[in-house]
Formats: sequence, C-alpha cells, structure tokens
Amino acid sequence: MFDSSPIESWEGASAIFSFGAGSGMTIFLFWLTVVLCIVPLYYTLKTENRHEDNHK
Amino acid sequence: MSPEELEAAIIAANTINLEVYYYWCTGFMILIHAGFMMYEMGASRVKHTLAAGTKNILAFAYMIPTFWMFGWWIYLAMTNGFIPDFEAGAGGVPWGESMGPNLMDNATGVFWGAFTLFACTTASIMSGAVIERIRMTAFIILAVLLGSVVWILAASWGWHYQGWLVTSWGYHDFGASGVVHIISGFFALGVLIHLGPRIGKFNADGSSNVIVGHSLPMTMVGLMFIVAGFFGFLAGCLIFPGTPISWSATQWANIYGMPTTLSTITFNTLMAVAGGMIGAYTKTRDPFWMMSGALCGVISVAAGMDLYYPGLTFIIAFAGGVTAPIIARFIESKGIDDPVGAVSVHGYCGILGLLFAGMFLGGYPQFSPDIPTITFMGQFKGAIVMVLLGFIPGFALAWALKKMGILRASDAIQAAGMDVELEAVAYPEDIKSI
Repeated sequence: MFDSSPIESWEGASAIFSFGAGSGMTIFLFWLTVVLCIVPLYYTLKTENRHEDNHK
Repeated sequence: MSPEELEAAIIAANTINLEVYYYWCTGFMILIHAGFMMYEMGASRVKHTLAAGTKNILAFAYMIPTFWMFGWWIYLAMTNGFIPDFEAGAGGVPWGESMGPNLMDNATGVFWGAFTLFACTTASIMSGAVIERIRMTAFIILAVLLGSVVWILAASWGWHYQGWLVTSWGYHDFGASGVVHIISGFFALGVLIHLGPRIGKFNADGSSNVIVGHSLPMTMVGLMFIVAGFFGFLAGCLIFPGTPISWSATQWANIYGMPTTLSTITFNTLMAVAGGMIGAYTKTRDPFWMMSGALCGVISVAAGMDLYYPGLTFIIAFAGGVTAPIIARFIESKGIDDPVGAVSVHGYCGILGLLFAGMFLGGYPQFSPDIPTITFMGQFKGAIVMVLLGFIPGFALAWALKKMGILRASDAIQAAGMDVELEAVAYPEDIKSI
C-alpha cells in the first residue's frame, strides 16, 4: 500500500528501512514520534490534577 | 581462499561477534532497571508501591524514544563542550542512514541500545531519591532531561576519546563513576532541595524519623539484580577487538583506547561488590546498607577498575561502603530526605571513584601521546565538572516545575498514597497500608 522500500535490489544495499533515510516521510514519522511522547504527558498531568482536586 | 578473502571473513565474523556481544550486554543491563524497580518498590510504603514501580517503568519507556531522538546525537556532536559539531553528529540524526536497519552498519544500533540503557540507569538512580511524593509528569520530564540530555552530554565530554575532559586533562572514567553516578547523584540532590521531604520524615525540632519501606526482602533481591546487571553495564564499557571500529585487532580496549581485558573487569567487579558489602555491613549491621554497599563498592572503583590490582579494588570498595552511610546521615542532618541514599551512594561514591583513580593511576599512558596522562588534578577537576553538570540542571528544572505547581503531590495525595493516582492497589488483600 505504501510502497516504502528504499531499495530495488539487495545487491550493495545499506540502509534498508522503510521509506529510506532522510526522506520527508522519515522526518514526518520522527515528529509523529515526538508528538506521541508529549501528548500522553498532557493526559498524565490532567489525571494528576483531577486526583489532586478530588483530594482537596 | 585467498589471504584477502580470509581476512574479510575474519573481520565479518568479528563484526557479528561485536554485535552479539553488545546486544547481550544491553539485555543484561535491563536487570539493573528491574533491580532498581524492586529496590525502590520495597523501600516504599504499601500505599506508594505501584507509583514507585510505574515511575521506573515509564522512565524506561520514555528514555528509549528520547534517546533515539536526540541522545545519541548529543553524544556524537558535543565532545567540545556546549558548541555542537554538526558534522560529527550527523551519524546520530534520527532520520539518518545509521539510525535504523542498515546492512553496512552492525554497530550503531547495539551501541545506541547500550547507551540508552545507561541513560535508563541514570533515571533509576534519581527515581529512588524522590519516591512517595513526586508527581508522575514532573518525574518523567526530569528523567528525560537527566537520561537523554545531561548524562549523555557528560559522556560526550568524558566518556568519548575526543571529549574535551579527556583531551585536556587526561580524564579517566572507565566504568562511569563520574559520567553516570556523580551526574545522577547530584542531579537528584538538586531535585530533592525543591521537592522537600516525605510527610513525617522530619520533626519540628529538625530531628528525623525512620520511615520503613514495606518489603526489605524485595529491596535486597532488587539489589542482587542490580549486581547481576553490572556485568552487562561494565562489560559494555569495553570495546570489542578485531573489527574496523575497534581500537585493536587482538585485544579489548576501554572507551579511550587503552588496552584491557574482560578478565580484568571480572576480577574487579566481584572484588568491588564484596568489598563494598562487607564495608557497609561492618559500619551499619543494616541489611539495607549491606546491599547498597555493593553499589558503593562498584561505584567507588568504577573509574579505575580497568587498571586496579584486585586487592586495591577491595580496599577502595570497602572504604566506599564504610563511608557512604556516614555521608547519607550528614545529608539527612541538613534536612534533605533521600530515602535510598542515592546522593551518597552514587554522588559521593562517584567522586571517590574519580579521585581514587587520580591517586592510584597516575602516570598510566593514554592511547595517544598527545593526551595528558592520568593525574589527580585532572580527575579532581573532572569531578568538579561532573558535580556542576549534574546539580545545576536538576536544581533549575525542579525549581521551574515547582513554580508551575507540578513537582510535588499534595499532602492529601501523599496521605492517601501515591497509588491513588493510578487507581490501583499493589496488594488488594490482607496487607494494610501504613
């Protein structure tokens, strides 16, 4: 579906990961990873604040 | 087979062996994290147990992606200080060729993995100091700064053959007394100053109370896990021989390129564990400190354990084990509540490790004659850098989090138990919360 291979042959292949090194897609996936680390922190903070309010 | 083909086959075999070696070092290092988790859960009261364990696991989980995002890049790029070398750091950019599956690079992934586990260890060291009152969000933010920025910046300066501490002062820190333990111990101290003590730790007259964890046996088993994990940690401090990225075709080397052997590390790891345990037990007769003494012993010798005579290792480790509890009591007398003694075990013993290496290893040549030999002053100045590099970021970020009101859980939450935020209880039946 995504046609992500960066190589056409295994002969002389080096970086073989999906979408290939330095492409726009790898940079997009990098930033998506960043977001997926930050968003849960926001929800953790909301949960903490809710419990703090409940124990006042 | 031609000589050229034979040589290529040998290099290929060694390269695969290198990959296997660091892969399993990383696996062993996970035992350190498991051990710290058990250690800290056991040192917590029942109502805080799951929070202590969850923080350890989330530190592990957050360290991995963040170390991939920027930790490895910092190691490669920051050897000169605070000004990055973008050319040197290119291999650590997360969308670069080496930071993923690559048939021409068998090394980056396993080295990145081992360094990531070192980062996890730094977060585990801090997490013990802050049990029973730090909020989860603040802890994760602090852990990421410590593990994926501060420790690896220290490593780039003092645990890299081109690091400025090494090239300027001949800084020698084989097993990371400074770059892991001083950094983590003093980062924790900076956090503790703003975090404050557990409720009930100190009385109005300044005297302190003993707050007993709910499972000393769990703590003791956890520390034995950490001891087992040290074999991965310290073996990971060696550079495998016989590959294009090795220092030597025929012999192990430390991270600075100085020859050593795996046997050396075996001698001195075991002697350090024993010396530290016996020293701490002699001083305290306390099971908790006896086991922490193993850490004190290893940390006190780690900087020079690639070169020490095993008898000297035992004596230094014994000294670390005897004196660390005294330092812990001194810190407590100043109103700092450090439930597991992280500042003394890691920070103080880390300083001992660097200074003893300076005292006993003077004159050893470096891999390059252009680099100064090991000296006491070089180690002393390196220790000061490590103390400041650990303390200042921990102090500053904890101050900021405190100002934002998200550092410390309220008294009501602490009284109910930090586990209420997880909406779970560690022991549903029979065991009452204290």
